[in-house]
Amino acid sequence: MNEEQLIASAKNGDRKALAELVKNYGQTVYSFAFKVCRDREKAENMMQETFYSMIKSLHQFDGNSKLSTWLYRIVVNHCLMEARKSSRYTFVEQETDDSLFDEKYIADWSTLPIKNLETKELRNILDSAIDKLQPEYRVVFTLRDVEEYSTEETAKMLELSVPAVKSRLHRARAFLRNEITKAFQE
Amino acid sequence: MNEEKVSCKDVMSHICESLSEEMDSPKCVAIKDHLENCEGCKSYFTSVEMTIDLYKKCTETFPDDVHKKLMAFLELNDEK
Repeated sequence: MNEEQLIASAKNGDRKALAELVKNYGQTVYSFAFKVCRDREKAENMMQETFYSMIKSLHQFDGNSKLSTWLYRIVVNHCLMEARKSSRYTFVEQETDDSLFDEKYIADWSTLPIKNLETKELRNILDSAIDKLQPEYRVVFTLRDVEEYSTEETAKMLELSVPAVKSRLHRARAFLRNEITKAFQE
Repeated sequence: MNEEKVSCKDVMSHICESLSEEMDSPKCVAIKDHLENCEGCKSYFTSVEMTIDLYKKCTETFPDDVHKKLMAFLELNDEK
């Protein structure tokens, strides 16, 4: 069965078709949730909540968007709700362009010992940097740059305007880039 | 061609868009010209690209046991 047939069957109560859909998107949803939550247990919970929501609301899925886009919308909402429970983020929104794009961050990355780092060390640096980024910016960065959705698709998924996505994206990139630079300069 | 002057700060505040967007506006053309001649901006451009690349590579596998727990949670573990 192709995806359209699977969705139609699942809507009619075919649990095998439903299981197949969950299986097909498990990795995608878990991987995205992990990139936003940076925590295995939270990612697992977000994934479970996402598929639970999918099963409850599949009858409302009208097929006007891809199932993957619809699932991203659900997992983004769950991740944002979870992330907002914490207040440990650096508020990139309050940073001015002068601080985000300060010339002190024009370090030549070719001299940074990135390639010499153990995977675990590099991962810690990346986790620590993204962990400080506000979730609203993190989801834009992840959808646009990591998952490679277009600006327009990202805007639709997040119900944001295209200029808002662009603004969040360029601030998120600068923030992450600066945090990584700082980690290497410490 | 528009000879609009841009500073390093201008370039940096627009550089992220330039990684994925068409740069045919007068300002973006001026940015491109600046980029070709500014070592600081080239470094910045490269570092932003590397930042994206690092996050792309830093993925998490989907463990089998997590999949099994998911199917059990959804009461779909008997559907094969």
